Amino acid sequence: MSEVIETQLKKGVLGLCVLALLSRGDSYAYEIASKLADAVDMGEGTIYPLMRRMQSEGLVATYLEESPSGPPRKYYKITETGHARLAAQVAEWRAFTRAVDGLIGPQAAAPGESEEAHDA
Amino acid sequence: MTRNEFIRRLKAGLKGMTSQDVAEIVADYEAHFDSGAAEGRSEQEVAQALGDPSRLARELRFEAGLRNWQTDRSPSSAFAAIIGFMGLATIDILILLPIVLSVIGVIFAFYVAIFAIFVSGGFVLIVGPFQGFPGGALAAIFAGLGLMGGSIAAGALLTIVSIWVINALLWFGRLHYRVIEPAIKSDDA
Repeated sequence: MSEVIETQLKKGVLGLCVLALLSRGDSYAYEIASKLADAVDMGEGTIYPLMRRMQSEGLVATYLEESPSGPPRKYYKITETGHARLAAQVAEWRAFTRAVDGLIGPQAAAPGESEEAHDA
Repeated sequence: MTRNEFIRRLKAGLKGMTSQDVAEIVADYEAHFDSGAAEGRSEQEVAQALGDPSRLARELRFEAGLRNWQTDRSPSSAFAAIIGFMGLATIDILILLPIVLSVIGVIFAFYVAIFAIFVSGGFVLIVGPFQGFPGGALAAIFAGLGLMGGSIAAGALLTIVSIWVINALLWFGRLHYRVIEPAIKSDDA
């Protein structure tokens, strides 16, 4: 059950992470996927349904650019709408994590054996 | 899984989408394999990192159906969106299926009934005045017009209800792989 929640949680913030990445510079899907896969531990393939959805919502735009090797690459670029969405999501994310931190309290921050105890 | 096997399963899962969409999606994943190969990863590694092609295809198809339905409110796009919804085929959707099917059945029956009332209204309007409609010719014309007008109004109302039902279904479908997002997503409805 907790695995399901974890997956859903990661999937939910994936859009936010992609917008944040693109706000620092244009990128292509493979690069976005490999950066996110390391950080968020998601299947790389998930990036494509997500990018198509964000494109249809007008959050990102695409253009082709020559690549040093092989055929031209499809680059993604964040749009004005995308910037606005990013700002709104970051604000909500901050408020959300602050609220959760407040509920968890300082004692839960103590790491170590308690984590394994939960899994068992 | 090899690259060819991955693409084959992906294509199989995308059946029903326009050939242009399928070509775009396949090109995306082909490019992914190319980039992986350029970094020295094997086909197996890349396929493993990408995940299950059939599951990816289901998500892609559901998203495409949703998009079509949002831009083009037609019976065929509604039908395609519902098929995509059922394609998600998670357990709670399967449990929901009998309810969904009976709701769709009831809505369809209402459409048929409304159509029948409209036709019989037209019949009263045209044939009534010549066949001795009780109350005279004028009454027949008004009765016919009334039936037709009433059925058009009922049809419009039913259309609003069915749009609402489909939107609710799709919202539920999206919930399946985006559970947390509504909580952190700004209201874009």
